[in-house]
Amino acid sequence: MTAIQIRPARAQSPPSLTARARDVIAFEWTKLRSIRSNYITLLIAAVVTIGATAVVAHAVASVPKPPAGGFSALTASFLAYAEYTVIPVSVLAVLQFTSEYSTGLIRTTFAAVPRRWAVLAGKAAVVGAAALLTGEVLAFACFAIVQAILSGRHRGESLAQPGVPGAVLAAGFVLCACALTALGLAAIIRHTPGAITATLAAIYLVGGLCLFLPSPWKDDIGRFTMAFAASQVVALHPQVGLFSPWASMLVLVAWPAGALLAACLVTSRRDV
Amino acid sequence: MIEVNRLTKRFGRVTAVDDLSFTVRAGQVTGFLGPNGAGKTTTMRIILGLDTATSGTALVGGRGYRQIVRPLREVGSLFDATALHGGRTAYDHVLSVALSNGIGRSRVRQVLELTGLSAVARQRIRGFSLGMKQRLGIAAALLGEPPVLMFDEPVNGLDADGVRWIRLLLRQLAADGHTVLVSSHLMSEMALTADHLIIIGRGRLLADTPTDRLTKSSTRADVLVRSPRATELAALLTASGAAVTAEEGGALAVTGLDTPAIADLAARHGIAVHELVPRQPSLEQAYLDLTAASTDFRAAPQASESEASQ
Repeated sequence: MTAIQIRPARAQSPPSLTARARDVIAFEWTKLRSIRSNYITLLIAAVVTIGATAVVAHAVASVPKPPAGGFSALTASFLAYAEYTVIPVSVLAVLQFTSEYSTGLIRTTFAAVPRRWAVLAGKAAVVGAAALLTGEVLAFACFAIVQAILSGRHRGESLAQPGVPGAVLAAGFVLCACALTALGLAAIIRHTPGAITATLAAIYLVGGLCLFLPSPWKDDIGRFTMAFAASQVVALHPQVGLFSPWASMLVLVAWPAGALLAACLVTSRRDV
Repeated sequence: MIEVNRLTKRFGRVTAVDDLSFTVRAGQVTGFLGPNGAGKTTTMRIILGLDTATSGTALVGGRGYRQIVRPLREVGSLFDATALHGGRTAYDHVLSVALSNGIGRSRVRQVLELTGLSAVARQRIRGFSLGMKQRLGIAAALLGEPPVLMFDEPVNGLDADGVRWIRLLLRQLAADGHTVLVSSHLMSEMALTADHLIIIGRGRLLADTPTDRLTKSSTRADVLVRSPRATELAALLTASGAAVTAEEGGALAVTGLDTPAIADLAARHGIAVHELVPRQPSLEQAYLDLTAASTDFRAAPQASESEASQ
């Protein structure tokens, strides 16, 4: 290596696929990290989730021990997380697309990267990674708090127990699945209120409605929803009649995959 | 070079671009003119791969835009200058665009310097004036040192300084050999900036001509004649096949005969001529005549005037 570096002439050969993937990820990451309110939203979500989880843990600790196989410390860990983390992070994911459509920035984006599936893939990589990291950190934090409060009363579950680390990891992944589903729906719907409504419907409402179905249908249909699948993967004792935790993980992969695939098809054809 | 070939774009029943063909060459500023709703923006969006053409092609450097890898190194563009996220700093905005096409940070600083935004680069865009946003958009357009540049209505809403800055920049870019396509609905602005004009109305090509030749092809050219015996002269001119209309102050506007013919005729009949001026319409007038039939929204009195002129 010489002391003086000469700037290479502009590359004539097209950049490799890896280089292009790096470009689009750097593009989307720079856009995500350069908005200060994204951090503020995440911080508020984290504070509210952890605070609410502590309140839940104290409430659980104050009631007499429930019968075996009932309410577990693991379940208590993710009650607050399932809403106060999942909703704000999903909304942030929605905004990654809808804010570009509402400002008109989407035209700059598609002019810079005309292969629209690449834009979707770049956003999904960045939003997915950020959501997964946030999810894992908060899932373990929530579990640690509940554990700290309940273990004093000999009712905690420890990470050493089989099935527990997997359940906590899965809880972190649920956030990633929700955020990516939100991203796909946002790319299809394009405006914020509609995309948020559709996202909340996909995450909560579809599963919630299944609860009102008569008995065999409730589980037969319900197990395909994100809400049922999420409760299966974070449970220490999965419910019988639903999909196994691993099959439920597949359900949690299928929702975002379906949403993103549909978004790819719609976005590639549409004028912006 | 930009080549638009038999381009048609329909939105439902509305035909926004109708069998449009033109070529934009390097080394000159090409003005893309037409009344509001003529299809300029739609055409430029199709060139950029943002909209899909119903039929026909739009090629940049021989390729469709969507086929270009790292397109910002081939084409720089500015559409809506206000299409920005207010929460981002100017630097971060330009940086994100640069990274998308593998362009480094030193070039980001360079274009911010070039557009005079270095001092405000770390400020959030929310507080920027329209003129600053316009400069920011141009900074982003210049990032990849692209040979082709497209600007949609770049002077809209700018103050006199901003307009002048853009005009000089466009002239400079063309002088450096760039292909520059700039749309506008104002002939007065294009008259000062563009070497070549592509004029469309209702999605159809109306004129594709060097700017200085637009007026020559106009049917409005006439000769202004003043004479103390105007009435007599008018009768003689009409008899010789000219069309004569009376103007204010007893002057005559004559078409169909040129200046020497009118002077000779007057001399033969011993009629004094006090003024004899060949007149060419202004670019503005030539443009208005050309687009009169294809303007979507017209004020009523203007409508009757333009119909009378046809």
